[in-house]
Amino acid sequence: MIYQILKESWISISAYKLRTFLTMLGILIGVAAVVMMVAAGQTVQNEITKTFDSMGTNLIIIGPGETVSGGVRGGRGRPSVSFDDVESLKNLKDVKTASYLVNFAVQAVYGSNNYGVSVAGTTPEYLEIGNWEIDKGSMFSEKDLKTGRPYVVIGQTIVEELFGLQDPIGKVIRLKSRPFTVIGTLKEKGDGLMGDDQDNIVMMPATTFRQRIHSGFRPQYTNVAFVKTVSEDKMEAVANRIEYQLRARHHLKDGVANDFSVRLMTDMVEKVRSVGFALSVLLASIASISLLVGSIGIMNMMLVSVTERTREIGTRKALGASNKWIMLQFLTESVMISFMGSFVGMVVGVLGSQVAGVVFEKQVPISLWSVVISVTVAVVVGVVSGLMPAIKAMKLDPIDALRFQ
Amino acid sequence: MAKQQKETVIEVKDLCKTYFMAGGMSQSVLKNVSFKIEKGEFVAIMGHSGSGKSTLMNILGCLDRPTKGAYYLTGKLVSQKTDNELAFIRGHEIGFVFQNFNLLMKRTIADNVSLPLIYQGVGEKERYKRAVEMLKIVGLKGYEDRLPTQISGGMQQRVAIARALVNNPAIIFADEPTGNLDTKTSDEIMALFSKLNQAGITIVLVTHEDDVADYAHRMIKIHDGRKEYDGLRSAYLNKEGQ
Ligand SMILES: Nc1ncnc2c1ncn2[C@@H]1O[C@H](COP(=O)(O)OP(=O)(O)OP(=O)(O)O)[C@@H](O)[C@H]1O
Ligand SMILES: [Mg+2]
Repeated sequence: MIYQILKESWISISAYKLRTFLTMLGILIGVAAVVMMVAAGQTVQNEITKTFDSMGTNLIIIGPGETVSGGVRGGRGRPSVSFDDVESLKNLKDVKTASYLVNFAVQAVYGSNNYGVSVAGTTPEYLEIGNWEIDKGSMFSEKDLKTGRPYVVIGQTIVEELFGLQDPIGKVIRLKSRPFTVIGTLKEKGDGLMGDDQDNIVMMPATTFRQRIHSGFRPQYTNVAFVKTVSEDKMEAVANRIEYQLRARHHLKDGVANDFSVRLMTDMVEKVRSVGFALSVLLASIASISLLVGSIGIMNMMLVSVTERTREIGTRKALGASNKWIMLQFLTESVMISFMGSFVGMVVGVLGSQVAGVVFEKQVPISLWSVVISVTVAVVVGVVSGLMPAIKAMKLDPIDALRFQ
Repeated sequence: MAKQQKETVIEVKDLCKTYFMAGGMSQSVLKNVSFKIEKGEFVAIMGHSGSGKSTLMNILGCLDRPTKGAYYLTGKLVSQKTDNELAFIRGHEIGFVFQNFNLLMKRTIADNVSLPLIYQGVGEKERYKRAVEMLKIVGLKGYEDRLPTQISGGMQQRVAIARALVNNPAIIFADEPTGNLDTKTSDEIMALFSKLNQAGITIVLVTHEDDVADYAHRMIKIHDGRKEYDGLRSAYLNKEGQ
């Protein structure tokens, strides 16, 4: 019986090709839009994850405290964490390593080439903190940090911009007219979260930075410090130890607010991810409005079809078709239309998002979601929009239906 | 008419039909109609417009239920059955021929003829085979793959008759089967009915044309919802003739 119903339904909808196609189009566009929006959302989320993974997630970030004036929270306070504070954190339990970063934007010059770069004054441990890898040469050493040697390690963007095909190792570049020897290059990292170029970086010992690039308001202090823990599950505990340690070192009395802030990378990742997810959901919901319109289209078409085919329904009933048969036939017709629409919509959506991926040079995932969405839509839309017309067909009185002109 | 052993196909007793309309109005269309129809009979139901012929046919054809009274089809009481049971009976025991043919215009003639078999779960090949057989009987051999739009009205009615025969029904009901046809075509269709009746098929048709009724042996005349005459067509003509 199922085969017979499928066959009858198929013949019926293929008898009205243009109408069936136009009705399908509504669902097709809807599903394609939803699939593309979901793909867009997932691409954003993947990019976020990739960026965070490149930094490592078992990271604790220490920054300045918030300024409090008259009980009102203000912006970031002045740098309150000293280089020595950070050094002291290395000895805490479950801490793998710690580092800090001071930066400044300057013009880098080599020969006739020059390029605006971001200079980072830091410690050798920053390599591990930021998941950086040395490409050629080496990182500056602890000794270089202590003595403030004018050594720099440069990112791939700077290698390309200043040296082109030349080997940069041992060459001297000028920053603020002062000479610095390139002792190493970093492996490429790609764009950051905000589309910033992470490879536009010049690393040098923080001491050198303070002496030769930018002394700052409090030379021995930093705006941002990083602590890497031995594992992700130790982060809470380490964060507490850091807070305790820094409060002690800053001689803060009970009841006095922290003059620094401690944030977990995992929390930040969660926050950004949840924003990314909310974005996907929002995009998909907007796209699904077109699905709603498409499904109203099917319902409308099926209602017209039932009215037009009243005599056919009457004839079928007179010839022995049960109510169930009539209902299933019309329901099957609407499910078939929405099924074809969703399937083609899914294909269009997947292809469309891949094409967009190529255009925007992003890796767009082909997710199982597109299949789940289209199958669900096919069934739900087909049944929901077909039910009312099918019931209408079923309820037709054969005598009235046969008399219908 | 070969009357070997009597086998009752239809028996109605005190059949009444009242239509209830909006506003509490009601109209009594059939009033205590009773009769029997035996296997192999060819009956014409006559009466002027609005007398209740179609109403009676709809009840006999299991498309409608009587308000009162009993209806036995091949010995089974069908007057109180559910919609689905009636659909089953229509599919298995009854053949319909309509005034306006009621063919599915987008389907082939073979599809149209074999349509009732779909609801009995008969497979595609078997359906086609049966359609070809039936088309041969009604003189439309070779037309199976054409569309109804490509043939004349008389041929369409033949297709409808083939469709009515395909499920081997106990009886064929035809409500004004020649109403949309010209005289010559009407005669051809009636000749076909006669031929089928001679082959033993029970036929009940509604008509208000005397020429058409003349093909039947028996005549039931309805007047204002009551049975006015029931007997041989020839006896009625003799009586009228006086
Ligand atoms: N569904 C209905 N509701 C109310 N009244 C109806 C309905 N069907 C038929 N009638 C009434 O019942 C009466 C008999 O109708 P019916 O169709 O049986 O007549 P008929 O003998 O077939 O007439 P005709 O020769 O014109 O076809 C008519 O007065 C008609 O108005
Ligand atoms: Mg009538």
